[in-house]
Amino acid sequence: MNPYYFASIALILIGLYAILAKRNVLKMLVGLSIMETGVNLLLISVGYVSGRSAPILSEGITPDRAVDPIPQALVLTAIVIGVATTAMALSVVINLYEKYKTLNVEEIRRLRG
Amino acid sequence: MVKRIFAIVFILIIGFWMAKALDQVPFGQDRMLVGKYYLEHVKEETGAVNAVTAVVVNYRGFDTLGEVTVLFIASTGVAALLWRKKRKRTAKTEGSVVLTTGARLLLPFIMLFGVYIFIHGHLTPGGGFPGGATIATAFLFLYLAFTVYEVDHKIFEPLEGLAGVGYVTVGLIGLAIGGYFLFDWIWQTWGIGKENIGRLLSAGFIPIIYTLIGIKVGTELTGIVDNMIKEPEEGGQ
Amino acid sequence: MSQYASLLIALPLFGAFFIPILKRISKSAVMPFLVLVTLIQTGIAAWVFNEVYITGKPIIIMAGGFRPPIGINLYIGHFAALFVLVIAVTSLLMTIFSFKAVSVEPKDKYAMLFLLLMLGATGMISTGDIFNLFVFMEITAISAYALIAYNKTGEASEAALKYIVLGGIGSSFFLVGVALIYGSLGTLNMAHIAQLAHLVNPTVAKAGLALLIFGLAVEAEQFPLNAWAPDAYQEAPHPVTAMFSAFVVKASLYAMGRVIYILSAVEGWSSILRLLIILGTLTVIIGEMSALRQNNVKRMFAYSSIAQVGLIAVGLALGTESGVSASVFHMFNHAIVKALMFLAVGYVAVELGGTEINKFEGLGKRMPVTAFAITVGAISIIGIPLFNIFWSKMQLILAALNAQYTWMVALILGASLVEATYYIRLIHTIWFKGEGEKVKESSVLALVMLLLVALIIVIGIYPEPFWNVMQKAGSDIFNVAQYIKNVPLMGVSP
Repeated sequence: MNPYYFASIALILIGLYAILAKRNVLKMLVGLSIMETGVNLLLISVGYVSGRSAPILSEGITPDRAVDPIPQALVLTAIVIGVATTAMALSVVINLYEKYKTLNVEEIRRLRG
Repeated sequence: MVKRIFAIVFILIIGFWMAKALDQVPFGQDRMLVGKYYLEHVKEETGAVNAVTAVVVNYRGFDTLGEVTVLFIASTGVAALLWRKKRKRTAKTEGSVVLTTGARLLLPFIMLFGVYIFIHGHLTPGGGFPGGATIATAFLFLYLAFTVYEVDHKIFEPLEGLAGVGYVTVGLIGLAIGGYFLFDWIWQTWGIGKENIGRLLSAGFIPIIYTLIGIKVGTELTGIVDNMIKEPEEGGQ
Repeated sequence: MSQYASLLIALPLFGAFFIPILKRISKSAVMPFLVLVTLIQTGIAAWVFNEVYITGKPIIIMAGGFRPPIGINLYIGHFAALFVLVIAVTSLLMTIFSFKAVSVEPKDKYAMLFLLLMLGATGMISTGDIFNLFVFMEITAISAYALIAYNKTGEASEAALKYIVLGGIGSSFFLVGVALIYGSLGTLNMAHIAQLAHLVNPTVAKAGLALLIFGLAVEAEQFPLNAWAPDAYQEAPHPVTAMFSAFVVKASLYAMGRVIYILSAVEGWSSILRLLIILGTLTVIIGEMSALRQNNVKRMFAYSSIAQVGLIAVGLALGTESGVSASVFHMFNHAIVKALMFLAVGYVAVELGGTEINKFEGLGKRMPVTAFAITVGAISIIGIPLFNIFWSKMQLILAALNAQYTWMVALILGASLVEATYYIRLIHTIWFKGEGEKVKESSVLALVMLLLVALIIVIGIYPEPFWNVMQKAGSDIFNVAQYIKNVPLMGVSP
């Protein structure tokens, strides 16, 4: 298995584990961010072509010497979306802490059934 | 304990399937299809040297518009969720001399660097998002250094909206002139900067859009920082 | 001319970005502005609908003038034209309801998020690019997070947090699926993917498709990932709940159907259909069983909505054209009925201060129009003839029989039976229990409710013209060869 693929899958799984097993809400959100990082790494490595450079076509970089630009553009979008999700999640957690005075998911359980 | 074991089994199954599928996607091989077209035609069609920028702003313009919108939602949402009648900063200790002096001294340079990043988006790695984030760090710096500092929401919020309106308007002008939403009329209809490829004044509307995005991202991230840093006053629920 | 349909995307965006400026000028103008924007959106959507159904040709919007697969295209075919109209009309009705139902500040932020939720669903339904679908899905999801937590109570934050965590997992899965499909095909355009689908490695395609479905299942409220839905429905502001049930879920279900059918040329594709059938069936069973033991009416409706969504997913996964058409019909009917019911329940909550079942005692005497609306909606959902959902359930049953899934008839009938149990209990409470003072009902909202009731009955009595429209919309999803032909792909081939 290629090390980049391995690392990205490992990051995704570590993040998923944190979401599933941790009790602290903030740790879960850290897990979510780790997972997103793994996905971004995966996208970038899918677009990589051995021995080529970044797709900026100046100073002697011809089209046949550049890697695929699309995954990089996708990752740019995905990063921004990740930031937005994290910001929203954190402000929800701020409200949650104000009302429940705890960050333990097992105590945040007024809605059920 | 049961929860952990369940979690481990679950992620191992998922990891196995992902690995099995990725095994069929060989690493480092040239499998470009649409990407190849972009690399070959990017200079003549958009005037940008940085192919990623051209993909982001021109070819996949809807994604970027969506991306800007997502960040806008985040800043609006954070402001909506943390809205209280009265809120103020509660920091007690002023920043150290190093921090306050550094903040004053570096502020214009950080701003300048942010602006540099976003207006050179079509030439170098970077663009509106990193540039805007850099500008937001300048404001974050001020928040860290001074206990009383706050940005003026009366200016920042309309500015944020104005930048967004500007982006959509640029797109609509494209619709009016070229017949397509987000059509790069500056490059494709007017042909401004055709002899300038690789220099600053080229690439049609990319620098304009990136400037708008830079302003927008800068104000939005600053707004998020501001909202998260303030706390409700006693009885100000 | 047809490129002007891109105003469907541009207008809500423009509106949302303009609100911070408008707020500086006049704060009280924000909500009327919201009505204006949704009204214009409805006008554009009606024009697009008319254009698509009269010419019979989909509108292809090419962003930046680049032909697909080079540029992103929006594909407003028969399905998208229909649902863009549903989205716009529902949003318009819900903005009117928002005047009454939303009292928590800051309302200008509410208006922006509301417009962007509408935009996200519109985009999801009309996009023709798999990554752009992700972007619009995130627009929908993130504005939904903010709107769910909008009331700023502890419970609302809890519900939003659940949604954020599940939604985050879902969007990561979706992106991994996109990476797999892009990695093996080198394109993101849906029509292009469909064209090249026979070339893709079956293992990659199946894993990618499964990941895409799991990613969408969060928003589409399919079983293992719908834990957020009842909480969010219960805690969100009432107009937002109605919007969720009426079109946010539908947009995700459509996206699910679309990504499944564009990869139909993949070897071993039917195993993915079976996966979705299992998910859908479990969703129906668990939704109905949970609805049965709810004391909060809004939460009960939420579970009922989840169960209906399960039925729609099952219909989409039958793998036949009639199944897809029946699903689309059910989506449409369910959108009308649930918009009505959440509107009515929300109105009751606004006037009487809660949605627990005891608040509904004597509702028939206290708020007769609202009670009537809830009753009609409930009867329709159960599937009584002469009401609209009867026809879509019937079509689902016929499609299931055609596709040799006999047990599914039992599923649909069983679900209807359970629905009958809890809805009749509710109707009984409304009309035959308790007394109370009469509450003055808002005439505008009464008008909106009666309009929707009329629509339910009209479809119930004259289903044929609607069924014709639905068949066209269904074949738009199912008929992939036609879809590829409709999108003017330029010749980029391996």
